[in-house]
Amino acid sequence: MSGLRTLLWLEYRRSRVWSAALMGSLVFWFWGMNQVRVVNVGEELGIRLVLLTMAWLVTAVVLAIMCGRFRGETRQGQYQVLLLSGPSGYVHILARFLYALGTALPFAVACGGLLAWAGRQAGLPLDTGSTLQAILVLPLWGAGVLVAPVLAWVLLLMTFVSAYRISGSGWIPGTVFVFGTGALFGPLLDWMTNISFSLPGWPLFGRLVEVLKNMNLDQEMPSPERAFLLPQEPLWIMLALTIGMLLLAGRIWEEVEV
Amino acid sequence: MLARLDNVTKRYRTVEGLRDVSLEFPEGEVAGLLGLNGSGKSTLLKLLAGLLVPSEGRVTVFDGTPRRNRAHLVYLGEADSLYGWMDARDAERFMAGLFADFRRDRFRELLHGLEVPPRKAKAMSKGERGRLRLAMTLARDARLYLLDEPLAGIDLLSRERILSSLVREWHKDSTILLSTHEVAEAEGLFDRVLFLREGRVALDARAEALRSEGRSVVATFREVLG
Amino acid sequence: MTDRRGWFLDPEAGPIFQQIGDNVRRFLARGDLRPGEKLPSARDLAGELRVNPNTVVHAYSELEGQGVLETRRGLGSFVREDAPVEGMRQDLIRRAASRFAEEAVRLGLSKGEAIAAVKEVLDARTAR
Repeated sequence: MSGLRTLLWLEYRRSRVWSAALMGSLVFWFWGMNQVRVVNVGEELGIRLVLLTMAWLVTAVVLAIMCGRFRGETRQGQYQVLLLSGPSGYVHILARFLYALGTALPFAVACGGLLAWAGRQAGLPLDTGSTLQAILVLPLWGAGVLVAPVLAWVLLLMTFVSAYRISGSGWIPGTVFVFGTGALFGPLLDWMTNISFSLPGWPLFGRLVEVLKNMNLDQEMPSPERAFLLPQEPLWIMLALTIGMLLLAGRIWEEVEV
Repeated sequence: MLARLDNVTKRYRTVEGLRDVSLEFPEGEVAGLLGLNGSGKSTLLKLLAGLLVPSEGRVTVFDGTPRRNRAHLVYLGEADSLYGWMDARDAERFMAGLFADFRRDRFRELLHGLEVPPRKAKAMSKGERGRLRLAMTLARDARLYLLDEPLAGIDLLSRERILSSLVREWHKDSTILLSTHEVAEAEGLFDRVLFLREGRVALDARAEALRSEGRSVVATFREVLG
Repeated sequence: MTDRRGWFLDPEAGPIFQQIGDNVRRFLARGDLRPGEKLPSARDLAGELRVNPNTVVHAYSELEGQGVLETRRGLGSFVREDAPVEGMRQDLIRRAASRFAEEAVRLGLSKGEAIAAVKEVLDARTAR
């Protein structure tokens, strides 16, 4: 599949500055988290987790923008060349998605590392299993549930807007799309919450909870197996939605007039 | 017939880019598409390339829709489609990976013949970028070449090199359809000339036939479109 | 001869294939091209002149029909050894002479005055 490989290379050349900047921003977030020195350990951990969440949100926005840079390409005729190239629309969309995901995953894992670091700083006795879960399992689950669908959604939005650009209506269908999907998001969230844990959840940080329990801290601690349960359902639902949106984006790409 | 338009109309909101145009393009022809700005030249080329879909009528290329047969056609648009960071080597990698009929050896010959410098596109002049894009276009072994103003805004020497390359690279089973404002310079190239005015074909003639009657294509242009 | 200079092609002056033929005849008449010499391939010449290769092919086949050129399989087009060069020279001279005569008559010169004018110009040239 030299087409996919070339398109991935193209994405890399087009966007490598963005990827480098995102990875570089980790230094900034780490520095920020490090600056937080509060007497109360729990508060310190809390603030750091908030910063980490912000890092995640900012990155998600940046990745979305990176994926959505269709307009410049349209104006400059590059979109024309790509539309007429060998690979189908599905391959083009997949390449952009994979590149963005390929930037997001290392970032997510690094954030997992920061999470583990923050936990250690707060004095939590993280064992190897829990650390690995923090660095790999949680971020990957997060990427699947949050990042992948957002990227696919942006790609779908941009192809949708491009498809209507020639008839001059431009952003009107785009706005409809945004509000439409926005309206669906609430019900989707409700549904996912409702059916969560119909399938067995994935327990995280079991050992950590066990150790804490054994240390006899004041607080009520739940049993290790039920402490942190990661629901499966949202992951599968979001992955299915991601694939669906990518397929739709690929199909629309084929029909775009430019 | 390599390509044909049957009663094609293309509407942009309220403006009609092309009105009820029917044309046939056989193999092995070099045709010039001439007309004033807004006469529908770009629209015609984009319809043949499959970048636009007709509002009415039908466009057939190689017995199917242009988009489906895009592997056998090349479109060189007016917009400068190079990425700023691209140099000739990147362009080669880009083309070879995305177009099955791209010939690397021919590309290198063309780079040499057109004297394309080994710089990034953003460090090249407009003429140099035009030459690089033409090398990318002509290195493809296609059957239909659609060139929209390949000479626009390009310096004289580059234009001459581009025209010479077009002549040298053309082969008997392929068809070139080329729109230009440099009518005088490109005149000798055309087997056939199509004059468009306000979305319609004002005249469809063979260039040498016009000259046999003592009228150059330039003179005919003034007559038909002036 | 593959150099673009020296070729006169005027889109207003009739079909290009014919003008190419005229140019070849002029080169032969003036000795810029000699019998037996190879001509550039149709594609090379077309590229040099920036005209359609079919036009050059047409010109070459006209010249072949007129006994000026011959095609040797696999080698290209050559001027025939027996190409009527002298005839072409005479033709060119006669045409130049009639153009001059035409002008002289329009200016109302007598035969003597016309010939004297030519003599003057030629003498001036040799003097240089």
